[in-house]
Amino acid sequence: MLQTQELQVNIGPQHPSTHGVFRMLVTVDGETVIDLKPVFGYLHRNHEQIAEANSYLQNMPYTDRLDYFNSMANNHAYAMAVERLAGIEVPERAEYIRVLMVELTRILNHASAVGFMINDMGAWQTPLAFGMREREKILDLFEMASGARLMCNYFRFGGVVRDLPPEFIPNLRELLRALPAYIDELERLLRDNEILLQRAIGIGILPPEVALSYGVSGPVLRGSGIPYDVRKAEPYSVYDRFDFDVPVGKVGDVYDRFLVRIEEMRQSKRIIEQVLEQLPDAKGGHINPKARQNVRPPVGDAYARIESPKGELGFYLVSDGSTRPYRYKVRAPSFINLTPLADMCRGYKVADIVVILGSIDIVMGEVDR
Amino acid sequence: MYDMLAALINGTLGWGWPEWALNLLSYILVVTIVLVVAPLQMLFFTYYERRVIARMQDRVGPNRVGPEGIWQPIADGVKMFTKEDIVPQAADRIVHFLAPCVVVAPTVLMFAVVPWGPGMVPVDLPTGLLFFFAISSISAVGLMMAGWASNNKFSLLGAMRAVAQMVSYEIPAVLSLIAIVIVVGSLSINDIIAYQTGLIVSNRDLPGIPDLGLGWFVFTPVGFVAFIAFFIAALAEGERTPFDIPEADSEIVAGYMTEYSGMKFGLFYLAQYVLNFLLCAITAIIFFGGWQGPGVGWLYAQGITPENPNGNGLFNVLAGVLGVFYFLLKTYLFFFVMVWLRGALPRLRIDQLMDFGWKFLIPLTLANLFSAALWVAFTRWGPAEGMLITVGWSPVLRWLAAFVVTLAINLGVYLWLTRVYAASQAERRRAELEELIAAGS
Repeated sequence: MLQTQELQVNIGPQHPSTHGVFRMLVTVDGETVIDLKPVFGYLHRNHEQIAEANSYLQNMPYTDRLDYFNSMANNHAYAMAVERLAGIEVPERAEYIRVLMVELTRILNHASAVGFMINDMGAWQTPLAFGMREREKILDLFEMASGARLMCNYFRFGGVVRDLPPEFIPNLRELLRALPAYIDELERLLRDNEILLQRAIGIGILPPEVALSYGVSGPVLRGSGIPYDVRKAEPYSVYDRFDFDVPVGKVGDVYDRFLVRIEEMRQSKRIIEQVLEQLPDAKGGHINPKARQNVRPPVGDAYARIESPKGELGFYLVSDGSTRPYRYKVRAPSFINLTPLADMCRGYKVADIVVILGSIDIVMGEVDR
Repeated sequence: MYDMLAALINGTLGWGWPEWALNLLSYILVVTIVLVVAPLQMLFFTYYERRVIARMQDRVGPNRVGPEGIWQPIADGVKMFTKEDIVPQAADRIVHFLAPCVVVAPTVLMFAVVPWGPGMVPVDLPTGLLFFFAISSISAVGLMMAGWASNNKFSLLGAMRAVAQMVSYEIPAVLSLIAIVIVVGSLSINDIIAYQTGLIVSNRDLPGIPDLGLGWFVFTPVGFVAFIAFFIAALAEGERTPFDIPEADSEIVAGYMTEYSGMKFGLFYLAQYVLNFLLCAITAIIFFGGWQGPGVGWLYAQGITPENPNGNGLFNVLAGVLGVFYFLLKTYLFFFVMVWLRGALPRLRIDQLMDFGWKFLIPLTLANLFSAALWVAFTRWGPAEGMLITVGWSPVLRWLAAFVVTLAINLGVYLWLTRVYAASQAERRRAELEELIAAGS
């Protein structure tokens, strides 16, 4: 007697391509995905509660550990939230340095996200090695400026911890010269490869209205065709002074997300070039000398959001007038972008799940906090 | 092997052994050689693959154990032997144990018919090619056993994929080889190699071509299409990228091998690399002349004199060494291509793989079969077989006609199939997209 049965497969928490300890409870009919239930929390480290027991400055290095690819962007959002809460002015030069660092972060994040995505498609690490190549040079720049490569802890309330070293700008210019060829190469890796195209086009479609209803942001939302970017929608820092485009996709599939990331790298390079033009004329030093680092903000609350490489990153802080935040909440883009995963995966094959997950570009440190 | 031993022991040494003792000795020798050579090839292949991929990824690769890391595979082997063997509690213990044996045994048996050099084939079966593919498909049973007995869902998915893939891709692989069998008229691997003498053109097709051992099938339209189709199918059979779907590490962990550890895992690993070696070897043998190459035939012929029809021992050995060199060179070259693809390409999805096999490769190889029949008709048939067109044509003209006709057919079918296949892919994609958009709104 022939009989068919649906199979429940646990992908994760220990699995080679779940980008950390993430679990997907997948119901499959043969190779087709019928349902998917994302399960997370395996990396929960009580981040928000710990932050409420620390002083404001002590939290700065903790934010590095949220999305460990983009420590500079996390620093920026947190610093902005505290500055709003305590009313600290940031000098112009410091703002430029901040934008420079965050845009460099965006390039390195997107490069490695693309590399990891192709790795999830089954390429044996060579594309990943391609994606990681220029990342190394950017990390060298971070090391020059902050002394650390990954956990930079570079931002302070009212500026950044120290000014750019003299060798930074020449090295950056050299990197910018090499960057266009590198980005083109990364794009050709996908556009010219028939197998990659077959695996990416029409896979994991996220319709714009579904994306909006889930509150998705970042390249995933823009891949679905909605030109929403916090840098344009609510310009913070000095972003209103730069000329850049917000790339959008057409269908909202894995391929569109890839193309949006590639194009964003080009736009980030444009922004960095404009920063380099305007930086010498910027007023002030790298930090506001009057800003106290041991802040004691007045009673109140503040919310600051930035366009982090993965999406809209927000910090919500409530102060009770002491040196510690009363409430500290992170709006983590990885977490919110992950919620429509089941909708994106239903009806596709098992092999597509990991590609779709790779195209969302999550970091579990940020999802679980 | 028996003839050689008989000549050596009873002829040269004059010991006068009975026939059964000679038989026994030759069997023991053959088995020993096969069992030693197979793992050695596997050890070399793992090292070779890791070094080549490391170069592609701007790394060095294994370089610590011994000079340039040459003993790394031995160290890995020792590690495999000493590791704990874990069997899941809910597994079917007997089948779980048997599966690796069922996978390894056929791959080792396949060595029995592989010729390494002139006269250096362990068993020269008249149906060698049939034996090779009949035996290789047994390992699919072992894969299914492994997947089912492990009681693991990844294993089961991997085993289903493996069996579906191996069964589907055996068809184009065998169809492309049948084209060659039609041209040669024999299933014996030695006959197929012997056919490929000559220079670009086989001197069986066109007598009078000087023999440089370069009359390979790949230079004919039939052989070229068969080679491409066979090599693609071999990638799928050997579970190599871009068809390494059964053990897709980023999707189903390690496929049917997920629940295996220690030496059982090592056996799967061994089976896989030995199979890869054999597939590369058979590609080299069938389409690239195996041990044929400039100088081998000439050396072999030097020893043959009227009073010494089996050839002079020294020249036989020299020809053998040169033949083995050519054979291994070609085999390693194909393995290099496999490694290269692994370093460069991502993996296809299982449905795309099936599509490609059934909708593209099988029609192509079927058309190639037709071309092969025409090739035989043009080059060899006469009025007796009803081939009246070629009456009175010179061999060169007949060969040229065969070349042009088969080239036209194969090229036409290829171009037509690529268009049809690409169109079907695009249509499928559009249908999928429309379905999704309809479901979304």
